[in-house]
Amino acid sequence: MTPADTTPSTIDALARARQAGLDTAAAEFPEDVAAAAQAAAQAQSACAGVGTPTDEPWPPMRARTSS
Amino acid sequence: MSDAHWLTAAEISAAYAARHLSPVELVRALLDRIAALDPRLHAFIMVDAEAALDAARLAEGDIAAGRARGPLHGVPVGIKDIIDVAGLATTCHSKLRLDHVATADAEVTARLRAAGAIILGKLSLHEFAIGGPAFDLPFPPARNPWNPSHHPGGSSSGSGAALSAGLVPLALGTDTGGSIRNPAGACGVVGLKPTYGLVSRRGVFPLAFTLDHIGPMARSVADIALLLDTLAGHDPADPGSVATASRRFGADLGRGVRGLRVGFVRHFHETDMPADPEIAAALDEAARVLEGEGAHVQTVTLPSLSDFSGVQRVIMLAESWAIHARWLRERPRDYSAASRRKLMSGAFLSAGDYVCAQQRRSTLMAAVDDAFRDVDALLCASAMDPVCRIDDAEAVARTYPRQARNPFNLTGHPALALMGGLSRTGLPLPVQLVGRAYDEATLLRVAAAFERATAWHQRRAPI
Repeated sequence: MTPADTTPSTIDALARARQAGLDTAAAEFPEDVAAAAQAAAQAQSACAGVGTPTDEPWPPMRARTSS
Repeated sequence: MSDAHWLTAAEISAAYAARHLSPVELVRALLDRIAALDPRLHAFIMVDAEAALDAARLAEGDIAAGRARGPLHGVPVGIKDIIDVAGLATTCHSKLRLDHVATADAEVTARLRAAGAIILGKLSLHEFAIGGPAFDLPFPPARNPWNPSHHPGGSSSGSGAALSAGLVPLALGTDTGGSIRNPAGACGVVGLKPTYGLVSRRGVFPLAFTLDHIGPMARSVADIALLLDTLAGHDPADPGSVATASRRFGADLGRGVRGLRVGFVRHFHETDMPADPEIAAALDEAARVLEGEGAHVQTVTLPSLSDFSGVQRVIMLAESWAIHARWLRERPRDYSAASRRKLMSGAFLSAGDYVCAQQRRSTLMAAVDDAFRDVDALLCASAMDPVCRIDDAEAVARTYPRQARNPFNLTGHPALALMGGLSRTGLPLPVQLVGRAYDEATLLRVAAAFERATAWHQRRAPI
């Protein structure tokens, strides 16, 4: 990745990757980090939208007793 | 017996009983065929020849002495190399796992052994069942026996390729976003993702806990039923395992579909994600075939594919990140580029994204359940495109996400892919059938009727 390829979104992705502990990946595979961030953003936007905040997430919590 | 490599498990069992074939003869024939063809197909990561021959000798003695254990006794099976077989490496097709030797069998492996099946070896896959066909891994990617320059689908690539080439009669696959059904359809065989919880995941390296399924792959629907009879059952060591009544999944295979109601989910491939015309034509033909067999086929509307795939994607990326974060931090260069890109995505999702996706999942599950109030099975697309060349990275990246399999990983309903046609270029075209949760028997009944009416399963890869 050359400096010319380094867009603000890539710089942001690399910073967020370092926060997540992906320093080595950010240094050695910046294109992969940028692609991963882009894929996550696409998934977030595809998942966003209608939904009711009070819906119970799946799977629901279930208590159990082992003894 | 010539052409023993094309026998189904049911035919093998009958041939053993009639003394027309022995387990040792069959295993030797398959080992010879693997030696001849696998250097081109790369379906196997490891062939366990000696252990398979030892097991074949034992099975031969037992069957000859009248101690046959059942229809899988002496039948060879290939295991996707993400499933533990005691004493063998479970590499997950990855450099990160080359030294990992399983100390115990996965539950599914143990069940196969108890039924007398013979473990022939470990089958190749996309790295960690997510990466995609990659050329920067310790093992080459499997290739499609219908045309070895083409992709066999994935991630259970070796399972599909080995069945299609007549290297094994039965195989196990895993399916988190379609990884059993994709290679089954691409290689012209049959693959079933069972209901979530029906088959134990214990001893299988996870990709995404709430989406992972283990299931049977074979060359006929009847063999899928036989294999599922052995694999299904409650396992207290798998927290997702469900206790269900014991049954024979193939009990209704011969009943046909007269009177059954089949919902055709047209919008998946017509408007949500317009399919290649050959795929669309195969689906229309499948609907006509089922109608011709006496089913009542009606159009059914589900939430859009983008709703399903967005939610499935967030859950898969978040759960797989939890599994791989440490390795991605410490050893990122040991992954293929394809896996690294996919698995790191979870680092960019928040806890809130994950919980919201699980909330929306409940709604999508309810929508599919509602559809089953009016129908007994669903017919819909599996892949939206015929398979592409394996070395065309752009085509793989473009076509791989164009699919309608992941909705049923999200909802947990059983789903099966099988061959529904042949493209102009001579590659299998898939169709998908979906059943009510825990009603694999009806799903297999519909698939068997389609199989009998079309005979696509009798076509052989020209290898």
